[in-house]
Parts: sequence; C-alpha cells; structure tokens
Amino acid sequence: MSRLMADVINFGKQYLRSKIGLFFAIIFPILLILVFGSIFVGGGDSKINLHVQNLDQGPMGEMFIENLSKAGTFNVINVSTSESITEYIKNNSLTVAMVIPENFTVDIAMRQMNASIPGLVNVTIYGDPSKTTYSVVLGATGALTNGMNFGLANATPIVGVEGKPFESTENFNYMDFYLPGIIGMTVMTNALFAMTSTCAEYRQRSYFKLLATTNIKKWEWLVSKFIFYTVLLSFALVLTYLVGVAVFNMKSVLTPMAFVLIAAGAFTFTSMGMLLGVFIKDPEGAAAVANAVGFPMMFLSGSFFPLEVMPGFLQAIAGVLPLTYLNKGLRDTMVYFNDSSAVVNFAVVFICGLVFFILASKIMSWKEK
Amino acid sequence: MVETVVRVENLVKHYPPNIKAVDDISFEIGSGRIFSMLGPNGAGKTTTVEILEGLRNPTSGKAQVLGTDIFKDYSKIRKRVGTLPQNFEPFDLLKPWEAVEYWANLYDIRISKKEINRLLESVNLMDRKNQMSKKLSGGEKRKLGIALSLVNSPELLFLDEPTTGLDPKARRDLWGLITTIRGKGTTIFLTTHYLDEAEKLSDDVAIMHKGKIIAEGSPDELVEKHGKATLIVLEGAGKAGLSTLRERGIDASLDQMDDRNVIVAVKKHSEMKEAMAKLATSDIAMDDIYTRRETLEDVFLNLIGTKMEDGELKE
Repeated sequence: MSRLMADVINFGKQYLRSKIGLFFAIIFPILLILVFGSIFVGGGDSKINLHVQNLDQGPMGEMFIENLSKAGTFNVINVSTSESITEYIKNNSLTVAMVIPENFTVDIAMRQMNASIPGLVNVTIYGDPSKTTYSVVLGATGALTNGMNFGLANATPIVGVEGKPFESTENFNYMDFYLPGIIGMTVMTNALFAMTSTCAEYRQRSYFKLLATTNIKKWEWLVSKFIFYTVLLSFALVLTYLVGVAVFNMKSVLTPMAFVLIAAGAFTFTSMGMLLGVFIKDPEGAAAVANAVGFPMMFLSGSFFPLEVMPGFLQAIAGVLPLTYLNKGLRDTMVYFNDSSAVVNFAVVFICGLVFFILASKIMSWKEK
Repeated sequence: MVETVVRVENLVKHYPPNIKAVDDISFEIGSGRIFSMLGPNGAGKTTTVEILEGLRNPTSGKAQVLGTDIFKDYSKIRKRVGTLPQNFEPFDLLKPWEAVEYWANLYDIRISKKEINRLLESVNLMDRKNQMSKKLSGGEKRKLGIALSLVNSPELLFLDEPTTGLDPKARRDLWGLITTIRGKGTTIFLTTHYLDEAEKLSDDVAIMHKGKIIAEGSPDELVEKHGKATLIVLEGAGKAGLSTLRERGIDASLDQMDDRNVIVAVKKHSEMKEAMAKLATSDIAMDDIYTRRETLEDVFLNLIGTKMEDGELKE
C-alpha cells in the first residue's frame, strides 16, 4: 500500500473510532436538518398570536376582527376592554398588540355619509419595530384595511400583484435553500476544527517528529487528510440529503458539481486548519483558535442567514470568507441549477485552498529548529 | 576492526539568546554496540540524538551516521535508522498490529501478517495485538514504540529515554528487549538518566553535563578512571560511627545514597585486608560490614559532585 493510502486509511480508522468525530461528521448535520426542518417546514401552527382590544361598540370592530381571523395569518386573542393596553403589553411581554378604537363603527359611518370629514379612522398597532412580527402585523393589517376601504367605497380593485415563483424553484421549500448552508457549514467545521486540533495534538505528542523519521512527505500527509475528509463529508452529506428528502420532501439536487464543491471545501478548510495549526502548541489552544475563526465565519457566510439582510460592513467581511463562496456555489448548483455560476464560486474556494495549502506546506515544519 | 556507525565531531547547538544545549562534543559509536548517553535532564542528550536523527539542525560541527554526512542528505539513510522518541505515545485509536502495518507502509515496506506477528512477538505484545493502544500499559506502549522503530530492520536504533516513567518490572523487561535487539547485531544509541540502566546495558557510556561530554568509556573504564577506590561500607553506622572514625584519623564519609551508612574508601588493593580487619574489630555499632566496587553512580557523584534522581540533580 502506498504511504498516502496507508495514511488515509489509518487516519480514517482513528477518526471514525473517535465518537466525537463521528458525531460531528455524521450525526450533527442530520440533527441540524431535522431541527431546522421541524421549525421551518414541519407544519405546526405558524400563525402569529395577535392580542386585540376592541373598544368599539358597533359591528365594524367585530367585522374587522373576523377578517383578521379569516386572513389565516393570526390567532386573534381578545383583550378585555377594562385593561390598560400598555399595562397588558408590559405584563404579558408582548411584541405586538392591536387596539380598535371606541366609535370605530360610528366614525366609519360618519365618513361614509360625509366624505369631507378629515383624517382616517385608525386601528392602532403597538409593537417593537425591531421584531419581525411587528412588521408582519403592520403589513397584513394594512392589506386588510385596504380591502375594507374598497368594500366600503363599493370600488373594485384594478391594479394587483401576482406572486410568481421562479420555475426552477417553485416546488422548493425553505429547507431546500437551507440545506446548502448546512453542507457548507459541515464541511468547514469538520475539516477546519479537526485539522487544527489534529495538528496541535501531533505536535504535542511528537507525532510530527515521528513522521519526519519515515518516508512520508508533508504534502502527502496533507493530501491524505483532504482525501479522507472529502470521502467522509461526501458520505455524510448524502446521508443528510436523503434524510431531508425523506422527511421534508426536499427537491434540491445533489449534483456532481455539489460534490466537486464539497471536495474543494474539504481541501480549503483542511489546509486552513493546518495553517492555523502551525501556530498552536496544544489541543486546548487549537479549540480556542478554531472556534474564534470558525464560528464568525459560520454566521457571516450565509450558512444560516441570507447575506442580503446583513449590514454593509458585515457583507464586506463575508466577501473575503471562503465559506461564503462555498455556500453560494452549493446554492447555485443544488437550488438554481446554475453550474456556470457555481464554477466561479468553486474557483474562488479552490484558489483560497491552494494559497492555504502552499502556505501550510511551506511554513509548517515537522522538525525542530 | 569495528566499523564506526556514528561519528560526531565538534557538534554544537546553540539556542538564542545564549543557551548552549550541545557544546562542542565529539564521540564515535562502533557497530553492534550499545552506546549510552547519560546525564541529567537538560544536559543536551535529546538535542544530540535529534540532530543525529535528522530532526534538528546543528549550529556547527560534523556528524556521520552509517557513513553518510547527515547534514547533506538524510534521506539516503532514513530507512536504515530506527527511532523511539522521548515520552513515546502510540496512536490511541489504532491497535498494535495496525500501528505496525501503518508504520511499515510509511517506510514503503510491504509487511505480511506473519511478519507483523513476529515483530509483536519479539516485543512480547502478541496477546495485546488487538487491544486499542490507549488501553496498553506504559511499558506496553514503549514496547509498541520499539516494535515500530524496528519495522524497517534498522542497523542503528535511537532509543531516547526508553524507560523513563516506567515501573521497575517494565524497565527490566525493556532492558531484556534492548539486549536481545543488540544481540541481533543492531547498534543502539540510548539516552538515559538512569545510572543503573547505563551500567547494566551499555558497552560504552558518555556522561553529559551542561552540553558537554565530561567522561567517556566503558562502564568499567569509567569506574577505573574516575572511581576513587574500593569502598568498605559500614551499614547502619550512621553519624555517630562517622565521628568516631574521624576522631581516630580515618578518612570516612556518609554514603550519599543512604546516609545511615558510612563509607571508607581504600585506594590501594593491598591495604584492603588490613583496613577491613581494623574496621571489623572496632567498637563502632553497625549492622553489617562489606566491600563494594564503585559504580557509575559513584563515578557520577565524583564527577558532578551531586546525586541524580529521576533525571534531576540533587544539590
């Protein structure tokens, strides 16, 4: 057996016999897909609880509440008219609540009879603008009042909006967009975290010195890690994908380009881990450094959140992180079936990997000075 | 004529700012011999051995291993040299037979199951061959390390403190193993801080202190050259016995290995009988009286001026 293959097999045996390694490579991505899938796709009651205080004595208030319920977005919870709404919000730690004012019916009727009365008859929405629920309630209520205005004016809407999903993605659910992020994150964490701590352990236990007394070359040792992680991660991600398809009916596709990107990611992050490992003396330090580099990258590279929602300076940081391009490439090929764009992202990931590989091979010394 | 396997001339290794780890040492090791580099921790033993293993670059000096200038091209002799590093720990999650096969492959050697078994048998690890290495005892781990260092059938074997931290039985087991390996013609370069180990195993010993070799030769030659005399031991005589002897004008000292004993050194063999009779019939209280030849321990004490325990000098 060649030195390279012997190293792949024996490193692999040790990795697979380590329960922690196996958990993070195989079990963790499956758990992630199951947990996030249950949150975002798993059916359940995804309506927003909307607390409404109806101070109106007439039928319009009741009708407004009925329409809110019918909209399908809200679970309407009635608030007693004897409560102070601000106290109620505070006591129940609400992020949003609605008040239908006194004389809502009367005021609407007066404006119907006399259009010259100034001002609108408003329902009031209390809420925390930083919370998504507030924006959702504001938007949905706006649409509802709009419809109500047309009804009261006996007008027929002419201009409308029709949602038309892209043909290629119309059958996809949220998890289809989320899966490439999980794949990218799994490739990064396994390769980077494991290689950083492997390097520190090899140095602490003098394995590098021991290896230096044999015929194996540094580049062979590094390439063997790349081969092992590519095979392991490809297997792990096929499993994760199959779970996603079986449980959440995902429609995204593990294309050949996705495997090429996984290999490029394994190459880049093993090399990056080895490069970080050059400067670390012990496994504890390795864990700290890998966390310090890996976690921000995980959150800033669009694994969990779309880059577009991030502030400009964070997007600029994301632009220099290789995981960003790995995630983009995986989404390009798996969701949008745009392999020409995926190739560009692959090239960025691969070039980053090549730079890390060359630096790691040059800087890392198995010998003592 | 004995072939020279290792030849070192004026070897120097300095670390910044001004640490002289190895300070201008020269020595030779003949083929098939066990050469021990003996000294306390920090003496420069491991630095020397790692230079000779091709794992460190020297500041200056010359070194030839198996006839090759190691500073020019170590790869030529890599396959002819075996190495057991200090504090060797095997790969925890490989079984001994897997580790041996892996290591052989790293030397580009195809090794059969039979050969693996033979190697494990030679280090008495056959009954543990399927055990995960992390479950081996300290002594078994070192034996596995020695098995790995032998996969390439080396002509020269470097053993850097192979018995440090092991219990007495495991140490004796390894001594037997090392002697067997030498018996097959392998030259062994051993570093140790155990004086009894060096004395028991070595054909040649170099005592190293503060980066320099301060004495060199076979254990007998060292005792001959640096030993003071034959010793008469008055066991249990203690400090009272010591002062009585001194009052009578006899040059005596407390045994540095065991201060319950008093030692009288007799430099000329011809004076031994008379001195022995004189001390045996004295009225000094003691448990026993006997003679002993000086050992490397005494030589070390004479040269360095202090005892060594577990590699540390006792000031």
